[in-house]
Amino acid sequence: MEHVIVTFPTDRLVYVDGEENGSTNEVLRVEAGTHVFELGNLANYRPASRTVTVQDTTVLEPLKIAFYRKDE
Amino acid sequence: MKLRSLTMQSCARIAVLGCALLVAACASFTPGNPPLAKHEPDAGYRFERLEQGDNSDELFVIVTFSGGGTRAAALAYGVLEALRDTTIEWRGRRVALLDEVDVISSISGGSFPAAYYALRGRQIFDEFEDKFLYRPIQSDLVRLALSPANWLKLAAPAFGRSDLAAEFYHREVFGGATYADVIARKQRPFVILNATDMTTGTPFPFTQDQFDLLCSDLAGVPLARAAASSSAFPGGLTPLTFQNYAGTCGYRQPPWVALAAADHASRVNPRRTARAENRLSLAAEEPARRHYIHLTDGGVADNIGLRGPLEAIASTNHPWSVLERMNKKKIDKLVVIVVNAATNPATDRDQTAAVPGLIDTLTTAATVPLDNYSFDTVELLSKTVNEFNTDARLVGDCNRLSARKGEQCALKLPAPHKVDLYSVQVAFEYIASPEERTWFRNLPTTFELPRETIDKLRAVGRRLLNEDPQFQNLMKALNGKP
Repeated sequence: MEHVIVTFPTDRLVYVDGEENGSTNEVLRVEAGTHVFELGNLANYRPASRTVTVQDTTVLEPLKIAFYRKDE
Repeated sequence: MKLRSLTMQSCARIAVLGCALLVAACASFTPGNPPLAKHEPDAGYRFERLEQGDNSDELFVIVTFSGGGTRAAALAYGVLEALRDTTIEWRGRRVALLDEVDVISSISGGSFPAAYYALRGRQIFDEFEDKFLYRPIQSDLVRLALSPANWLKLAAPAFGRSDLAAEFYHREVFGGATYADVIARKQRPFVILNATDMTTGTPFPFTQDQFDLLCSDLAGVPLARAAASSSAFPGGLTPLTFQNYAGTCGYRQPPWVALAAADHASRVNPRRTARAENRLSLAAEEPARRHYIHLTDGGVADNIGLRGPLEAIASTNHPWSVLERMNKKKIDKLVVIVVNAATNPATDRDQTAAVPGLIDTLTTAATVPLDNYSFDTVELLSKTVNEFNTDARLVGDCNRLSARKGEQCALKLPAPHKVDLYSVQVAFEYIASPEERTWFRNLPTTFELPRETIDKLRAVGRRLLNEDPQFQNLMKALNGKP
């Protein structure tokens, strides 16, 4: 089991591989492997998606996947 | 003159029979699964399509029924009865635990009560005993196979003894029902009958997500055919053939499949990659298309029906992912009840120096790997549960330890959503009395058992459930009453 935190200035839904999977700024569990992370249809964030290979994380050190506001 | 006439008549009859057998042998294959005109992700037999009713996600209950013929069916039925009679306090109401079951995953003999419950709900308790449990199914199947009326059918290369069994179950057990009847009920639990894809050796669940890969409409598949595939015990029963219409319905794989397949070289998660490659194999179009899929007993790939649920618990890339629901904080308590009718027959093999015979050796070669795999699968469930619990404890302990050093040292590590997990095992190996345990572990695998044996199996299923330490913890947490 791997652990990630998708960061964004506000609470947003997180989509993993196209499926809704919890919220930003919270520890989410995913299976090891390459995944696509997105924040849904509201296009006010960048990058549009991040493709990340998640492995060797622990619950104490989740992988941080950062998204930003477009205007930042 | 009379003798000559009789001889000619006999010759004519043999010739007619021979021709008929030849015609049957040339008969074209009639698929038991219709094509899907257009892939519709929101239609068909899928977990998401079932109405929850009063069944909450916060308490998520998965039950698995193993293979083992009528022995497994009776044990599973006994557990269903116990779940019906067990009440818990949930959301301020007293409800039957059975009504909180979300998913049932079944194999072989366990697929009969599972399928019947999917079709008839609580009416199973009025009907199933006469329809299946106490019936001499095995004798009925042998009689059908030996009947000359069926020889023509059986002579066709695409029609086997399991097709005959499926026709019998369709008529006598499931009353002509198809998955359309199960879909029409729209009720949880989501019941997944599992067979084995002979070519890939992987579990083949009877869900629309799986049939999407074949561009086939599960709604048109008789429930009996799914049960027959799940219980096509190798040797005694033949595999069943399904037509693969892949590429004809506009199906597109979910995004994770290409990502997981691309991970093949890096080996970051071979298990996920294998699942992706299996999907790609089933959905392959010309020239790699597999025109027919041959399904044998679900027990060949996983005799306890736990592999699918384990994937759902450990992966977000699953058609009814439990992990995804955990990430969304929808699940607070996860209960997995494994009903395992595995036996361990006694043998006097080691009392003699004689070299074990061919049948003994082949039986051992066929069954021991399955039993070992089942053992590992249950261990994998325990490992997964421990991993969740350890993670939750680690974060809590770190936060507590750091806080002791003073407020300036407090870490306040974020933790994943906490889920209480209960892994419940119903298996003969947990019977306390050695004599009784030995008796149950020497029961045969057959579709016909004496009435008193079936009654004992039902009773021991209930008892083993109530005696399980994790089940007792669950009962304490939910103020349960057996």
